[in-house]
Amino acid sequence: MNPIQTLIDDLNTQNLWGKSIELKRNEYLKVKGSIDTNIYFVVNGSLRIFVLDALEEHTIRFGYKNNLIAALDSFLSEQPSDLYIQVLKNTTLKVLKKSVFMNFIASSSKNTKTWQLILENFALQQMERERDILTTSPVERYNRVLKRSPQLFQEIPNKYIASYLRMTPETLSRIKKS
Amino acid sequence: MNIIVNELVAELIEKTRNHINRAEGFRTLSEKELNYRKSENTWSILECIEHLNLYGDFYNPEIKARIKKANTTPSEIFKSGILGNYFVNLMLPRKTLNKMKTFKDKNPLGSHLDKNILDRFSIQQKEYLELIEQSKNINLTKTKTSISISKLMTLRLGDTFRFITAHNERHLRQAENVLKEFAANKA
Repeated sequence: MNPIQTLIDDLNTQNLWGKSIELKRNEYLKVKGSIDTNIYFVVNGSLRIFVLDALEEHTIRFGYKNNLIAALDSFLSEQPSDLYIQVLKNTTLKVLKKSVFMNFIASSSKNTKTWQLILENFALQQMERERDILTTSPVERYNRVLKRSPQLFQEIPNKYIASYLRMTPETLSRIKKS
Repeated sequence: MNIIVNELVAELIEKTRNHINRAEGFRTLSEKELNYRKSENTWSILECIEHLNLYGDFYNPEIKARIKKANTTPSEIFKSGILGNYFVNLMLPRKTLNKMKTFKDKNPLGSHLDKNILDRFSIQQKEYLELIEQSKNINLTKTKTSISISKLMTLRLGDTFRFITAHNERHLRQAENVLKEFAANKA
């Protein structure tokens, strides 16, 4: 089984989630400069993580229903991070505090192993993402991501997928048609 | 008054996040709601936001230039100035919003406004977050900025930040009150 699903199931069983947060479309869960060490479970809705470079937005990641999402840099370092997390449609999140999570991870060797697997998968995903960004051809970038995450194209508006693929929305719609 | 810089910065960022979210909420309103005025001389929601944009047009470049020129080192404590603290307290909205005078060049009354005003606000607030970030490398007490209301005075950058954030809060509340009045008038 996918280790993230194992983790979510076990967190549910032990009822470790804290409060819920509701955010409306376009609102921000996190902005640049803040420290956010929480992990969030997306009950419903969708979000994106982006950074601003000279006022241009570069989309880094998405989260949708039943995903976990976090400002991972801030979560790990407990320092301020540059990431923005914006809600794309009305979203409900359940909050898990880092302290609660770390206690959970340390509480059994099974949990420790699950977390290790998640981090390993994450390293592999980051390498795939690095390959995306180094891929010159827009068509190939599109094909890589479509193969990896077909669900993305169901859940997320084109203009944000285009930003994730480092192309204009026009180029993306041209590639999708051909 | 002494304020711990890390706490001040975290508070400014969190308030700005809240301000951006409240303005984003206005996007779902109709043109009619956005342009509704209770009387000829009071502002619509978009005019409230445009007033903040006019302030941002002044303060963002001013702060940016001052940070760039600053040759100061950061400190863990910000010492608020007497004048700065006075202006911040004056600007902070009370329970029922007290009226304040607006300078002519910051009065958007009657300008032609559309939803671009909200885009402009969102961009400016992100620039503002950027400036808060950059200010971590300099001294908030020793770095001074001009203020929009007088050429003779300067404020400590920490107070300028507090003043702008209080000013944003004031006019977002004003805009929210306009929406309530619109709803009450319709009923």
